[in-house]
Amino acid sequence: MSQHTTNIEEEESFAPIYANQEDFNPQDTVSSFLNTTYDPTRLHPLAGLGGGLDYLNLDDDPGVLPGTQGGLLPSRGWSDDLTYGTGLTYITGLSVGGAYGFYEGLRSSPSPAFKIRLNTVLNSMTRRGPFIGNSAGVLALMYNGINGGIGKARGNQDPLNSVAAGALTGALFKSTAGLRAAGSAGGVCAVIAGIWAFGKDAIF
Amino acid sequence: MPRSSDHSRDPCPYVIFSDLGASFAMGAIGGGVWYGIKGAKNSPRGERFPGALVSLKARAPVLGGNFAVWGGLFSTFDCGMKGIRQKEDPWNSIASGFLTGGVLAARGGPKVAITSAALGGVFLAVIEGVGIVLSRAFADQNRPMMPQLPDIAPPASQ
Repeated sequence: MSQHTTNIEEEESFAPIYANQEDFNPQDTVSSFLNTTYDPTRLHPLAGLGGGLDYLNLDDDPGVLPGTQGGLLPSRGWSDDLTYGTGLTYITGLSVGGAYGFYEGLRSSPSPAFKIRLNTVLNSMTRRGPFIGNSAGVLALMYNGINGGIGKARGNQDPLNSVAAGALTGALFKSTAGLRAAGSAGGVCAVIAGIWAFGKDAIF
Repeated sequence: MPRSSDHSRDPCPYVIFSDLGASFAMGAIGGGVWYGIKGAKNSPRGERFPGALVSLKARAPVLGGNFAVWGGLFSTFDCGMKGIRQKEDPWNSIASGFLTGGVLAARGGPKVAITSAALGGVFLAVIEGVGIVLSRAFADQNRPMMPQLPDIAPPASQ
């Protein structure tokens, strides 16, 4: 009796195809036994598993911080804010001051000779640029530091944290100029920080 | 054996801004402490705290800016060297220190620039050398151990 079947369950058995003499058929071609229900995609290690393996659905939990969702200004936490925020603010301030100094140096150069003009431009760039850059950097450092501190103390990151941090930064920055200057500087910086924080949520 | 790349730093163009900010923070805070103490020491007895404040308000941002420029330029050259050489080596850092020192002193003429560049290169070589010595000293802790296989009798041969 022939034991050869084409059942799916029997495919894994290793019985030879032509177990008995009666199975031999001279009309059989190669394609008649090579092209059976053999499906190469079933050899893939993850084939036929479907949705059963939950551990493969890895969703990187982005966390509750608004910056971790990506977007235009991604940030992984207070250390990123501190380093990248301060760095970007410093280089922006340096560039703005440098551009102003460049323009001023070009305009106020005493002689059209190239070397003298270059010297004047460089002098005025190094006079204006670092002043604005340093001040912007110090403000950004204080703001990010206080923002991180408030966030850690409160346990959550609100745009209100940013407003409070801005107020404290402005007040601290101008604290040696008297109470009134500190108060007005705190107010101005709180408004700027609020626009930044709420605007960032709205736009990005 | 290839040196493993440092995965704790962010990828190359973005790390320049991070280094700028971190250097500025180090310079400003360190300068705040240093010039605060210096200003307090150099003031008359009743005026120590205002003296400290005046001194650190004037000098600490400048030191922060200097550190930031040094760190930002260094990081830019470092990323440039990595991009050109397509390797991660201590030589990248040493060459970047050399170039940074040279560029920052370029306005003083070639001799001053070369001197400053050499100082920058030596400084970075010292830092990298100390780093290599430390990593060799602590490398034994990371030695890979062969897993202990359980004792199973081998299958009886046919």
